[in-house]
Amino acid sequence: MDVFVTGFGVISALGCGVDENFNELKENQTGISKAIFFESSFVDVFPFGEVKKSTEELHQILDLTLNSSLTRTDLFALIATQEAIKMANLSREEVSSFETALITSSTVGGMVETDFLYEDSNLLSTGSPFLFSYGSGAHTQKLIEHFKFQGYTDTINTACSSSANAIMMGVKLIRSGKVKRAIVGGTDSLSKFTINGFNSLQILSKKNCSPFSSERDGLNLGEGAGYLVLESSEVVKDKKLYAKIIGYGNSNDAFHPTALSDDAKGVIDAMKKALISAKIKEDDIDFINMHGTATENNDRTEIIGIKEIFKKIPLFNSTKSYTGHTLAAAGSIEAIYSILSIQNNLLFKSLNSHNPIVYNPLFDSNIKNIDVKIIMSNSFGFGGNCSSLIISKI
Amino acid sequence: MYIKALSCISPQHTFDGDFFKFEPIDYFSKQVEAIEPNYNELIPKGLLRRMGKGVRMGIGTGITLLKEYPNVEGIIIGTANGGLEDCVKFLNQIVEYKEGTLTPTNFVQSTPNAVAANLALMTNNICYNSTHVNTGLAFESALMDAFLTLEEQAGPLLVGSLEEISSYNINIDTLKGWVKSDDETLSLLTKSNTKGSVPGEGACMFIIDKSKENAQSFIRDFSQITTKDENVLFDFFDRFLKNNNLSLEEVDGFMLGLNGDSNCNYFYDLFINRYIQKETILTFKNCVGEYPTSMSFAVWLSTELINGNNIKLVEYQAPKAKYQRILIYNHYFGLQHSFMIIEKPI
Repeated sequence: MDVFVTGFGVISALGCGVDENFNELKENQTGISKAIFFESSFVDVFPFGEVKKSTEELHQILDLTLNSSLTRTDLFALIATQEAIKMANLSREEVSSFETALITSSTVGGMVETDFLYEDSNLLSTGSPFLFSYGSGAHTQKLIEHFKFQGYTDTINTACSSSANAIMMGVKLIRSGKVKRAIVGGTDSLSKFTINGFNSLQILSKKNCSPFSSERDGLNLGEGAGYLVLESSEVVKDKKLYAKIIGYGNSNDAFHPTALSDDAKGVIDAMKKALISAKIKEDDIDFINMHGTATENNDRTEIIGIKEIFKKIPLFNSTKSYTGHTLAAAGSIEAIYSILSIQNNLLFKSLNSHNPIVYNPLFDSNIKNIDVKIIMSNSFGFGGNCSSLIISKI
Repeated sequence: MYIKALSCISPQHTFDGDFFKFEPIDYFSKQVEAIEPNYNELIPKGLLRRMGKGVRMGIGTGITLLKEYPNVEGIIIGTANGGLEDCVKFLNQIVEYKEGTLTPTNFVQSTPNAVAANLALMTNNICYNSTHVNTGLAFESALMDAFLTLEEQAGPLLVGSLEEISSYNINIDTLKGWVKSDDETLSLLTKSNTKGSVPGEGACMFIIDKSKENAQSFIRDFSQITTKDENVLFDFFDRFLKNNNLSLEEVDGFMLGLNGDSNCNYFYDLFINRYIQKETILTFKNCVGEYPTSMSFAVWLSTELINGNNIKLVEYQAPKAKYQRILIYNHYFGLQHSFMIIEKPI
């Protein structure tokens, strides 16, 4: 059974909504800069892919009065989901149908409210407004309440590959006939928890990240959300169809908690499984949206994996040079960027890739008027969680 | 789906097999903690030293099954909170050291995917690997993933859950009104009528497969819904029964998640009044307390009962000799509801 993308929504450092994101990508404008809203002593040390909206402005976008129990993680998820539902033209009945699943993901969830969490968890308060907002699955409840979902729900956390696995789970549910429709994606916001964690691992760059550059020295953290509406061929009728999800692969590198293996075994296995699942050959892939975090380890290993799978390396980029690494949201945001490439026959330049370890024309400029039929999108995470998606033109 | 093998660490003697020899251990406490085995033969010392309790319990139960089934084709874990204690330790460091130079150990151990990741790493298995964190339905989500994975590829799969008590969730759940203010006798928990419950913890792992060869139980169906409305809930349950072409008389035991919380007891009370005879009630939180993935303990216990093991679970009920079919109904504080039918494999 074919699984179609009928709508999508995104919020990231590049802007709020699909149009703003597309314009910045097209103009090669990065969203990575000094953070304005995020409060941390690291703001003066590292650049971030911050969403350039205050919490108040995020509420306004949703026409909500300031509700102090919604975290930035929740608000990003609500905004991107709202856009996706609108684009797919889903009725209230369709959203609340038992045939509609919600598969979402987050790594930091409500722990973004680090200081409130510290007080609540150490009984230094009588209970902050965020008591019900902290867990990984808390944003899922906010989505359910806001949109009145009644069908199957799930929250995934496989670190930085989370929303790629949420997309997989949605496709699997539809293919099995369990549901007709799934809203899938991920959300994460900048938090002291994550930044201190990544800093302790010494993988943050003080410059704007430079994926696949021989001078790369780490990643930039970003924030945002990306959600897609997936629908089965049974229910799409005469709807506008944007893309098909035709394959997926998931593997574990089984090597190290926070690094990929030198032989890239998980990376290779995830891509192989995705190709088999899509029933295509490696030379059918026109373009790869790489995980490309710009850490020494990730980019080296990903290239080793690509060289193993592809006799001729396809065009590739890393849009993390625009958004930073949005963690759980990365897989779905990048799936959306891949669909924008398919829709507009346009591949986006990868920024800051000086002296690349493997040359690719997308390090120099956008490529216009290119018929992109099939895209691979990779997402890898701590704990060895490797996933690869294959997205095709209708 | 069939359950081929199972392993459980809980506040009872479930890991060493003594649980069914006696009555459940009783506790008089505000929380009940898991009895951990000696992990030395299961987990290398270097790794064990860095693991928090939740991760240890998950690895201990998981690795026990992976020794018997080394070639699983999927490792799928459900946990609401993962390594919470490490999470708080890291959080406290951030605040107390004002974001100074921190060590990554607590951060790495606190990520919920640490158990699935460690199991893959320790057994050098690059198979399908996923972690579900859907609060009170995290284990059910892992089971759904297993069901869908088995539609696409061969089994068997390792599927399970873990949850640990930490100061973090006890304090936050206390502020939410989910923890009883006084010590409670665990064996009487299901009859308690004060606010909140008694937090518990544990890990259960299962080998799940398509083939029924040597199966211990059969998971006929399971379904979940998030709602605060009992009418929506009962419509949903009626449809669940109808989809399974099942009448209530065909069920030998109803395993209910009664947790003694006066705020949310009414869902169970309404369910009992509407559907079942009191003699068929089975309970499990009087053994392990309340936690988001306690459903996995209900599945473990139901499988053991179907297998012929027996224990006195409800004081007014003599243990039934043989269970052919058990229906589980659990909810997590009145919002996330879950139904499951477990049968003797035939």
